[in-house]
Amino acid sequence: MVADKEQIMIESQLKVVGKILSAFSHELNNHLAVIKESAGLIEDILNFNKSFKGAGKENLKAFQSIENHITNTSWLCEQLGNFGHKMDEPLASFDVNESINELLVLLGRIAKQKGIIFEKDFQDNVPLIYSNPSKLQFLIFCFIDKNLNRFERNGSIIFKTSYSHSSITIKILTRGEVTETGERDICPDEIHEYVARRLRGNIVREDGGIAITLPVSISSEADAHD
Amino acid sequence: MSAAKVVIVDDEVEFASTLSERLTLRNYDAKAVYCAEDAFTIARKDQPDVVLLDMKMPGMSGTEICGIIKQFNPAIQVIMLTGESGSEILPEIAEEDVFDYVMKPVDIEELTRKIDSALKKAAALKQMDEHGSR
Repeated sequence: MVADKEQIMIESQLKVVGKILSAFSHELNNHLAVIKESAGLIEDILNFNKSFKGAGKENLKAFQSIENHITNTSWLCEQLGNFGHKMDEPLASFDVNESINELLVLLGRIAKQKGIIFEKDFQDNVPLIYSNPSKLQFLIFCFIDKNLNRFERNGSIIFKTSYSHSSITIKILTRGEVTETGERDICPDEIHEYVARRLRGNIVREDGGIAITLPVSISSEADAHD
Repeated sequence: MSAAKVVIVDDEVEFASTLSERLTLRNYDAKAVYCAEDAFTIARKDQPDVVLLDMKMPGMSGTEICGIIKQFNPAIQVIMLTGESGSEILPEIAEEDVFDYVMKPVDIEELTRKIDSALKKAAALKQMDEHGSR
């Protein structure tokens, strides 16, 4: 039933937001941990009054580390802010390549822990798309999450974008040994098709991946009953 | 008396190396390694007293690494480093012989207190072992 699909989609979107926030907080915490250690080291060198050769260099290294990690943290916050703002409007102009990149930045640590590499093969001159940005990110996230759950270790997930005939195609392909790890997908496959239809697009499942094709511009989302 | 051997196992190189320097300033014989394989090598060769182990390492969880280290030497005391709250990690570490855990960002005073407590336990176990083998 359509109402059930809509409900499942909404619940799954909330799960996605939860996972993104969790990944973000882990990443942020790691940066803060380095900043705290670096600041602590400077304090230690001053407090312990260690006049060892190179103490000045150590302090400089620590200051630089603090600055780098603050810059990285700020960048991360920007990505999270962009992700959050994608939910502001049901329809908006946005860059598909940037939207995918935001997810890859926010999920980078999780992928690294699983030994999975994200590869990007974006077409440069893909035009802005006028669609529902948060639903598209949700759809892409579902496939990323599905593949992160499938790899035992050491694989790649490849993201390709292309533009042709007023449509943008996003391909998500996998390379490496895929196996069932028993983790549950964030939402069932039928919801992927449902969301793609709402965005007036379609999903084609290919060997080793999927292709999501969307029109460059829609005046409204397809009705849930379409 | 030789300084207590502490090994930090964390894939965040800057974090682990800086913490190692801070512990060295506090007269521990501290070393940092950044992957599971190096952790196993150093656990076998150096026989550290205490290992500070990140819960989430690439490719292998901290609890898995802990289990393997303990096989080399059950006397090694392991303190987990984690960004998650105690209520989330306690069920994970309950199955393993973990001495304690510390949350990141680390409070150095709390950490050194726990290292010193772990060293006391390691010394007591060593004494019991020596008495037992006589």
